Amino acid sequence: MRKNLLYIEDNKEIGAWVSEDLTERGYHVIWLTSGEGAIGHMESADLVILDIMLPGLDGFSIGQRLKKEFPKTPILLLSARTSIDDKLQGLHFADDYVTKPFHPDELAARVEVLLRRFGKISPPLIQLAHISIHLDQNLIVDSRLNVEIILTAKQFQIFTYLLRHPNQILTKEQIYEAVWGSPYMEGDKTLMVHIRHLREKIEKNPSQPQIIETIRGIGYRVKQ
Amino acid sequence: MKIRQSLLMKYLLIITAALILWPLVLPIYYIPKEFLDNEVKQKIMYLDTEKLEQMWHREASKLNGGTPEKINKRLQTLKEQYSMATMFWVDADGNTKLMSPNQLKIPNQWTLQDSVEFMKKSVGTGPFTIVAYIGGDSNQGFMVFQVPHTLTEPLSPSFIDDMYLLAFGFLVFALFLFISWLFFSKIRRRLVQLQTAMTEAGETGIPDKVAISKIDEIGQLGQAFNRMIDELTKSRKREQEEEVLRKQLIANISHDLRTPLTTIRGHAYSLQKESLSPKGEESLHLIESKVDMLSQLLDNLLSYTLLSAGKYTIKRKETDMMRLIRASLVSWYPVFEKEGFEVDVRLQEKVLVWNVDPQWLTRIIDNLFQNVVRHAKSGRYVGVRTEEKEGRNVVVIEDRGSGMNNGSHEKGAGIGLSIVSLMLKEMNLDWEIESSSSGTRIYLHEKI
Repeated sequence: MRKNLLYIEDNKEIGAWVSEDLTERGYHVIWLTSGEGAIGHMESADLVILDIMLPGLDGFSIGQRLKKEFPKTPILLLSARTSIDDKLQGLHFADDYVTKPFHPDELAARVEVLLRRFGKISPPLIQLAHISIHLDQNLIVDSRLNVEIILTAKQFQIFTYLLRHPNQILTKEQIYEAVWGSPYMEGDKTLMVHIRHLREKIEKNPSQPQIIETIRGIGYRVKQ
Repeated sequence: MKIRQSLLMKYLLIITAALILWPLVLPIYYIPKEFLDNEVKQKIMYLDTEKLEQMWHREASKLNGGTPEKINKRLQTLKEQYSMATMFWVDADGNTKLMSPNQLKIPNQWTLQDSVEFMKKSVGTGPFTIVAYIGGDSNQGFMVFQVPHTLTEPLSPSFIDDMYLLAFGFLVFALFLFISWLFFSKIRRRLVQLQTAMTEAGETGIPDKVAISKIDEIGQLGQAFNRMIDELTKSRKREQEEEVLRKQLIANISHDLRTPLTTIRGHAYSLQKESLSPKGEESLHLIESKVDMLSQLLDNLLSYTLLSAGKYTIKRKETDMMRLIRASLVSWYPVFEKEGFEVDVRLQEKVLVWNVDPQWLTRIIDNLFQNVVRHAKSGRYVGVRTEEKEGRNVVVIEDRGSGMNNGSHEKGAGIGLSIVSLMLKEMNLDWEIESSSSGTRIYLHEKI
């Protein structure tokens, strides 16, 4: 099913081009040149792309209003305002902030990440090397032998956390804090040990991991 | 300020009151006694012996040639008046008459010997004695007035003798001390309050105004302070408004320049999808990379303007450097990966905390990585590590490019480094650059 994107942009040239590009990428785009009437399209929108400098109400005010009424719809700010203050103000309510000029591939990638993060795209099945993951059923299967791989609670939490952030590098402290819910202490080896056990279960060759990639000195990444 | 409201006036009042009251302390002590105590009143009569003598002699001369009855009567009257005295008279024949009160030592019939003995006694150890011839004539006899010496001696004002007087004097002195202390401690308390109010900063970073209860010297000081606070608040507000305006202007310029850049970028991207000659592709690629550079340059230019004008607000806090560097690396890793860089990260496993603005430091690291991607592509290597150098923790960013002085340095890198330099200085950090044709090393560390 095509996802509906609500796009609010007053610049005709940019608006036309972005709408066209996103449509080509398989989205259904509703493009408005001001915030007027935006709320009417929110019911069907899966994601909002919002400019900040708009005639009438600015993007901050519109975004805050939309977020308040539809907290489950992600908002991506797309603006030529690049100052840290603007970004901080924007990220109070918005879920991502892309500055102009931007590369359309980057915009498309961020849109997809947001849709996935908000569960707007439910990947029925993720296939990574020899294992298939049914996220909705908490089921991980080794597709070579068709046997279920049983993970401990922590291993499963780590793995799904990585899967929910595909192609992103996650730092040790990010993973630790997301899974354990307490601050990461520098030098703590707990996460490393868990990842090693996890790899022993899912990788063909745990010493040369294919699924969970180690980015040395930084963290881990799962490419999808 | 009216002069009667001043502290000076109050103090002078206290001092004057003390000076005026001090000489009155004794009278005030005695006057009530005189009125209340009959005994004292009586005593007062005997104090002035000269007056007593005059009185006695006057009475004696008045009785000139009086009959014994008359003399008796007069003496009785006098006795009533001077109840504490001993009186008697002796007639011409040497018979003692009307002794009041009766005294055994006085002979009834006076001989010459007795007279001499009596006179000798009264001059020496005996009571204070006045002898007067009746009518001033020795032949008519004489009359005697005797009072114990204790009565004729002046009242003792000695503090030592009179414990009550001592206590009273002390009390008056203490009262004066207490009033002075009250006066000065009140001044002191108000001054301390004022000092506290001046020291403690309010919400705005400026001390709050003080409440003024009295219009004296301290009250005036408070008013002057309040006026100063008003001025300060006004100028702070003006400054903030200017800052907002300036930031707004710069943000608007940036925005207005970026919007057409976005369009250029978009159209360049659309062109990519058309079939182009290799030369056309190359031009397109160049357009794209210059658009990126221009946007970066814009960012840096505007940051530099704000920074050098001191209009960038810095929010320093204890920051975990390892975490911050790793977060930066996460966002740069895909870029390095795409450009085929080897990313060599060796960060220490201990916490490294610097007191910096995390936003600024991220910006610094972004600028340094940006330079690596842009100018050190030939080395295909970026290293980020921590080292101990001369006892300090140093963050090192290393590349294997052709060095900073070797051509590859496009214009525009300069401003990025200027921003780095300015920001480091503001955060009390320092840096060194080692650059040769085989690469560049940048060392970041805290200033000592």
